[in-house]
Amino acid sequence: MAKKQEKIEYVKNGKRLDGRKVDELRPVKMEVGVLSNADGSAYLEWGQNKVLVGVHGPKEALPKHKQNPYKGLVRYTYRMATFSVPDRKNPRPGRRESEISKVSGEALEKAIFLEKFPNTAIDIYVEIFDSNAGTRVAALTAASLALADAGIPMRDLVCAVGVGKAGGEIILDLNKDEEDAPDAVDIPIAIMPRTEEIVLLQMDGLLTKPEWNKAVKLGIEGCKRIYEMQKQALRKKYAEAEQEM
Amino acid sequence: MDNEIQAVAPQEGAKAEHKKKMIVVPGDLVTEERKKLGQHVFIEDGKVYSDALGITYPDSEIAYVVPLAGVYIPQRDDLIVGIIERETVKGYMVNINSIYPSYLSADKCRDVLQKASVVSAKVDAVNEINEAELFDVRVFYGGEILSVNPSKVPRIIGKNGSMLLVLKEGTGCNLLVGRNGWVWIKGGDVKKLADAIKLIESEAHLDNLTVKVEAFLKGKKVN
Repeated sequence: MAKKQEKIEYVKNGKRLDGRKVDELRPVKMEVGVLSNADGSAYLEWGQNKVLVGVHGPKEALPKHKQNPYKGLVRYTYRMATFSVPDRKNPRPGRRESEISKVSGEALEKAIFLEKFPNTAIDIYVEIFDSNAGTRVAALTAASLALADAGIPMRDLVCAVGVGKAGGEIILDLNKDEEDAPDAVDIPIAIMPRTEEIVLLQMDGLLTKPEWNKAVKLGIEGCKRIYEMQKQALRKKYAEAEQEM
Repeated sequence: MDNEIQAVAPQEGAKAEHKKKMIVVPGDLVTEERKKLGQHVFIEDGKVYSDALGITYPDSEIAYVVPLAGVYIPQRDDLIVGIIERETVKGYMVNINSIYPSYLSADKCRDVLQKASVVSAKVDAVNEINEAELFDVRVFYGGEILSVNPSKVPRIIGKNGSMLLVLKEGTGCNLLVGRNGWVWIKGGDVKKLADAIKLIESEAHLDNLTVKVEAFLKGKKVN
């Protein structure tokens, strides 16, 4: 007989397990230009998540048969460190990592003016040092900062956030405990904030139509808050110039 | 050499006149007015947006953004410093610090060049995949090459070559600044020049740079 599980209240009096409101983000810290040997780089802490991104390129795409004379390639590599999860993670890239690399790379492709760089490749290396749900959105946010730092022409920054459901409530930026809820729904969402064009959207779990509408609205609102932080982080690097104005 | 400096300098000329600055990130609005388009901007729904992290000048007649980083993409009439990489049947492949290869026809070059020869050249044409064809070649003997960020080159030249003049007088170096971010230097106090250029690079987004560099060079002289 299965052990009777104690029912957890994920939202109580408008507060969540970690004391946040339903539409509140975890504390986010962003820093740009942290790696000297990369063309662009960014470090991001999002709650317990720790992400380091390095961008190399645009550079000649090799092997040569991968080159496209009409546009550049984006090669996004998402990797989780062995010590990023409670148990040791096998360092071999698995199904999950390959998939996240693919969808995140495609999300950034939408934002970059790739047609300006024929026959080239832009390498983006993402390393997750610590994870606590929502690493792919943290990685995407940091990667877009690193791309801007590398001086790669973009239509817009890409900002991402996770939304979902836990304990029957639609909440913003789920942490690991909430993601493990029995009725949990997790929706990573990435947009280009100026046009609100969605460049990444995944979902596992089930939602009703009103819940879905509420979740997407909340997600876009969260993304815009992340966007403001991204702008601040980029400007901080040139804070001196701002003072001169 | 002075003619060549003049050829590059006017690009900077327009910039220094505008006092008001604005830092923009990719996707930021540069202007809603109808303006001529310069570099690193794009139009969407009739509005002009920035495509790079950089500085823009709202009072300028041309909407453009000076990026704070980036790779060198050759453009027509650029004066560049290059190194001969390889000899082909009819010319040379030249390394011009770009991600794309560039070609120099032997017909357009009086001297016989060798691998690793240092040359200055102008960009004659750029094709649709950003490969440059060079002409107007001069060969340099001796000296050394300094590498700087290509987007900072206009500041190293200064308005009408003012910064170049300060650098030349302050260090006694003979130098040629290529638009591709390579600076050829010979003679004089090379170390001091390298320090001065490093200063320009790190403070390229600030005002009154010529005055600062002048003071820096003089300060070193006293020591």
